[in-house]
This record gives sequence, structure tokens and C-alpha cells, in this order.
Amino acid sequence: MTDRDSKEAQKQGNELNEAEAIERAKQGDAQAFQALYDRHKRRVYSLCLRMTANTAEAEDLTQEAFLQLYRKIATFRGESAFSTWLHRLSVNVVLMHLRKKSLPVVSLEETTQGSDDDSPKKDFGADDLALAGSIDRLQLQKAVDDLPPGYRTIFVLHDVEGYEHNEIATIVGCSIGNSKSQLHKARMKLRDLLKLNRAEKAEKLERVSDDSK
Amino acid sequence: MNCVELQQSLAEMENGGRADQRAHLKTCPECSALVADLDLIAATAIELREAEEPSPRVWNSIEIALRQEVAELNLIAATAADLRGAEEPSPRVWNSIEIALRREGLIRPPRTSRSLLPALSSRWTWARWMVPAAAVLLIAVGIYVRQNSLAVQLSQDTAMPLASAAVSDIAIAGLNDADLLQEVAEQTPAVQAQYADNLRHVNEYIRDAKSNVDAYPDDEEARRSLLEAYQEKAMLFELAMDRSLP
Repeated sequence: MTDRDSKEAQKQGNELNEAEAIERAKQGDAQAFQALYDRHKRRVYSLCLRMTANTAEAEDLTQEAFLQLYRKIATFRGESAFSTWLHRLSVNVVLMHLRKKSLPVVSLEETTQGSDDDSPKKDFGADDLALAGSIDRLQLQKAVDDLPPGYRTIFVLHDVEGYEHNEIATIVGCSIGNSKSQLHKARMKLRDLLKLNRAEKAEKLERVSDDSK
Repeated sequence: MNCVELQQSLAEMENGGRADQRAHLKTCPECSALVADLDLIAATAIELREAEEPSPRVWNSIEIALRQEVAELNLIAATAADLRGAEEPSPRVWNSIEIALRREGLIRPPRTSRSLLPALSSRWTWARWMVPAAAVLLIAVGIYVRQNSLAVQLSQDTAMPLASAAVSDIAIAGLNDADLLQEVAEQTPAVQAQYADNLRHVNEYIRDAKSNVDAYPDDEEARRSLLEAYQEKAMLFELAMDRSLP
């Protein structure tokens, strides 16, 4: 058996195992439910953390998402992939939490036209090319945490989690145009934050270097 | 297309952009760098997808919550069976039901005597003798009709006249609708209306049954239905009589 065949067999085995775990979890099997938790906890937790930027809240929401999974798993009919179904459930849990806190899930702006704050910057120069090439994941993570909640929701759903704009529009209750506009603004804001972060680091390094001389 | 126009159109840019967007990007390093940065951010974002692992506290909390839910559900299930027949309604409930049923004529007070023979009481008018007489007559009709159901095989020509004869006999015996309504004249309008309605229905039943016998004189079922229809009418008279008794 080739390496590729071996991986395919393992993938099929894993899929069967998940299907079996789902069926057993529906019957109330605690071990099967824990297996599902172990398989999907990172994805769910990361989603919650990215959307709330708060560790404690993210843990609470992860707990709530899996509790809802436990209560609703009997209704899972297999029409979509289980991960897709669970993910959608988790997104709803987070959005409900954000709405309860009266945090804007998405900006009310319905136009794709930019506001004055987003007008193209004219200070082009070498520094604006600083991002080209690579971005540190941890820096991006921190920058996402610093985004306004509305921008953060759209960015996480689209660029991190892979939802399409029409799906996002349905989930958060906005127009497709608004979703696209918010995403663009989120990326622009992230670019600024990343550049600022790099500039601060560079400045710090320079000071350290000067002090050592 | 200039830089301002390009950057204002970036939100809608997909799959590398339109021809005019691509043309501008080829000639503008600043816009080109901006687009490259935005694409890099989007491409790196996917690394955040499963970047974090929740602390063990999360699963512990889930486990505790689930155990509690299961325990609560088991307790509810165990207690549910105890609720069956746990409560007894107050006597007031049956009293209210009985009053409502009596008012509608659906139940009658218990009789002191089960005999259909009239008591020699001064409260009995001549009309009240009709009902038990009608009951006796009905039984006789029933026997008569039953006997004729055997004779019909011998002579089909006589079936219809025999049924009609039974009907005319009953009419002669005096099952008069006006007399029934007279019996309940002292009851409430609602009860009177109920009796009138029941009378109308039983007369329709008799009419339909008679038509059936006329159409199918050999049909024993049709004759049985006619007998049942008359029995219903007799019961209605009996009820009216009982109601009017003090």
C-alpha cells in the first residue's frame, strides 16, 4: 500500500469513526461525545476566541456550543458535513452572545462606498511595502483581536473560517455588499495595525541597539 | 483608472480583478503593494482557524453540566410515574358536570321504580299513558316486522304494505310530536330547543329509514333501521316524560 493509499484509508477510517461516534452520541454515549469534543474543540474554540478576543468568554462560549451540540445532536440528519453543522451552531452561539452584550455584530453601513476614514492614504513610501512577503501568525492574531467587533466578525467568518459573502449575509443579517465592504475595511485596518506593530518593534529594537552602544 | 478609483473598487475586486484594475496595478507599485498586503492578510488568516486549544477546564465544565442535566432528566422521569393519578379532583367538579348534563337532558335522576306500568297517581294525565303504551306497541311492531322478514320470501308483494301498516299503527297509537313538546313546555328554552332539535333529527331518521324500506322491501337491514328509528323516538318521549315528573 502506497503512502497515499494509507492516508486515504486513514481518512476513511476517521470518517467512519466520526459517523459511529455521532450515532453513539445520539444514544447518549458519553465517551462518543467526548470523542467528538476532542475532534472539534480547536476549531470551535478558535472561532470563539477570534470573534470575542477574550479567553474567558471564548471558553464559556465553547462550553455552551458543545452543550447545545449535546442537546441537538439527535436532530443532525447528515444532510451536511458534521463539522459544517457544528460550526454553524457555534457561530450562532457567539453571535447571540455578542447581541446580548449589545455589541455591533456588523456595522450598519450598507454602502460599499468608503467613509472619510477609509480614504486612500497618500503617504506611499517604502514603509507601505513592509508587509510584503510574510506576516507573523501571532501578530496577525493580536491585530485581529484589536479590530472593532463588527469588522472582526466579518473577517473571521470570511478569511479565517471560509464562509462566502452570501452565507455571511444570511448569518449576520446584512447585505452581501455590506459584507464585502466590511471585509475590505477589516483587511485595511489589519494592514495598518500590522504596520504599526512592526514600526513599534523596529523602534524598540533601535532603542535597545542604541542603549547597548 | 487612477489610484483613488482603484482603491475604492477593491471591496468588489475578485479573482484578480477586472481588466482596468489589472492594468492600473501593472503600472502603480503603491497600489500593487497594497493589494499584495491585503491578499497576504487573507491568505495568512486561515492559519488562525485551529490555532488555539481550550484549557481542560472547558471539558470539565461540560462534563459537570451534562451529568447534572442527565441526573435532572432521570429524576423527572422517575417522578413522572408518580404523578399518574396523584391528584383527586374536588367533589365540586363532579357536581358541576352533573348539573350541566342534567340541564342538557343527557342524564336523568335515578328512578324509584323501573316499571313501565303507570302508577295510579293523580299527577298522571291521560297523555302520559301514551308513552309506555307506545313502547309496548313498538315492541309489538318489532316482532311483527321480524316475522314478516321471514314471510317476505314467500310474498314480496306484501312487504311494502306491511311496513306502511306498522307505521300507521304507530301513528294511531299517538306518538304525536306536539305532545312531546307539550311535555317539556315548562322546561327552560334551551332544553325545549334541544328536544325540538332531537325530535327533528329522529323524524329525519324515520323518514330516511322508511324511504329505504320502500325502495328495498326485501332488505332486512332497512327494516331493522326503521325499527331502531322508532325506538329512538320512543326513548325521546320517555326522556321527556321523566323530565316532566316532579
